[in-house]
Amino acid sequence: MKRFGFTLLLTLLVLGLAGNAAAQGQSTLEKIKNSGVFTIGVRNASPPFSFINKQNERAGFSNDLGALVHKGIEQKVGKQIKMEMKESSPATRIPLLTSMSVDLITETMTDTRARRDSIDFSLTFFMTGADFIVKKGSPIKGAKDIAGKRIGTQQGSTNERILREKYSKAELVTLPDQAAAFMALQQGKLDAYCNDAIQLWGLKYKSATPDQWEVVGDWISYEPYGMAMRKNDSDFRAVVNNALMEAIEGGEYFKLYEKWFGPKSDVPYPMSQAFKTFLLSQVVPK
Amino acid sequence: MFGFLGMTYEFKWSVLWAQPHLTWLIDGVLTSLRLASISWCLAVLLGIIFGAMRTAPFRPIRAIATFYVEFFRNVPLLVWLFFWYFGAPEVFPEVVRQWFIRHGIEFWSAVAAISVYHGSRFAEVIRAGIQAIPKTQLEAGLSSGLSVFETYRLIIIPIALRLIVPPATNESLNLLKNTSLAMTIGVAELTFAARQIETYTAKAVEALTSAALIYLALCLSISSVMNWIEAKFAIPGLIARGTRAEH
Repeated sequence: MKRFGFTLLLTLLVLGLAGNAAAQGQSTLEKIKNSGVFTIGVRNASPPFSFINKQNERAGFSNDLGALVHKGIEQKVGKQIKMEMKESSPATRIPLLTSMSVDLITETMTDTRARRDSIDFSLTFFMTGADFIVKKGSPIKGAKDIAGKRIGTQQGSTNERILREKYSKAELVTLPDQAAAFMALQQGKLDAYCNDAIQLWGLKYKSATPDQWEVVGDWISYEPYGMAMRKNDSDFRAVVNNALMEAIEGGEYFKLYEKWFGPKSDVPYPMSQAFKTFLLSQVVPK
Repeated sequence: MFGFLGMTYEFKWSVLWAQPHLTWLIDGVLTSLRLASISWCLAVLLGIIFGAMRTAPFRPIRAIATFYVEFFRNVPLLVWLFFWYFGAPEVFPEVVRQWFIRHGIEFWSAVAAISVYHGSRFAEVIRAGIQAIPKTQLEAGLSSGLSVFETYRLIIIPIALRLIVPPATNESLNLLKNTSLAMTIGVAELTFAARQIETYTAKAVEALTSAALIYLALCLSISSVMNWIEAKFAIPGLIARGTRAEH
């Protein structure tokens, strides 16, 4: 037992030392200015927000908004900054932020009160709710039909949490990303896959046979998307929010919305009047 | 100690024993242990069979075993997990496939992937053990009237298993730790539970440290059991152990 305790102690020590080697308490803007690099956390497979397109390039609505923030940061620090993108996922994005590996998560992250305990969010840039995608003709028409069924969710997502807490009779299968979950659905290993409605529409349109898939049900949750950053760094947060407000006020936001969700886009999703009003009312005066 | 996060991070170790987090951790440990023990038994069985075949005095048998070992140990376990979950079940008849889907296909795919992969690695450990035994043992067995199979079963393998305890311990620890990969196909094992707590509470350091310490404790227990086995089953005079080498 003596040796056992010693090994434990040693491990704690090593963990602590490794931790100390990481950055020591500089603000995000200082870090970006000093290193000349601004790193955003993006996704590989969450169209149309953040994904790798057919030309094998990173693209998406959230990525484009990240680029607007990038411009805002360049203006603020007064020099050219390089923007880098790193893959993040629901399970890794908070550690990526706290370990200083990325400066801003710009993908499909839902702003929640629990998450606000450890990170900060920008203003809301998109609003959706959780739904189910099923094979056409499935008996599942919404949340009331999922008891005893195999329902796929993404590891670490808010949808997973809601299903676990409110629909505990469903058999949850938690997979690491959208691609894995949709593959399992296609193979019949899942009866339905639950995610934010807009992402399910994205999946449906991106699949080889869009007609075969149906997005069903009323929203079982409310999912406001925000950009996430390290906690208690209000200078940086102001830069991010100002960039978003200017984009909404100046119309660039709506151009991007048209590009990704307009009638000619892959995932047509008209903006509701309620959301437009909400978006505009988040913009505070100059 | 954790000053690097001091600016933004507040520790809250109580998230680990607040419900339902504690239940998740316990369920996670149990699932990890179940996955590891079933896979370990199968992997050791496969290892003994193919390890012995690797040393058999017939070329075709050796060739089959060599193919198994080289094929399975040279592809990363993560790829095997995806193969056994997304690929292999698709070739089964629909009835069998549906049965597995209704009975924890994620878990059994992980068992298949881990046991077949580690079986190939155990086979090499066991082959090394068998080849460390002087050829005269086999010859003595054969000349006393035993068949090749009986000589292996009664003499060679019992000695080989004793010789290989240290590398087999190594493999067993690897197997236990590799069960953490099963979370990529949705098995709710220990790492999965830790990530779950992390995403619910955003307390990454606490959740992952708890997983790290639990793995450490499990591995240390396995090593001490294996040390005990090694001492208990040592053949006096055959393997020098417990004392320093004499010079």
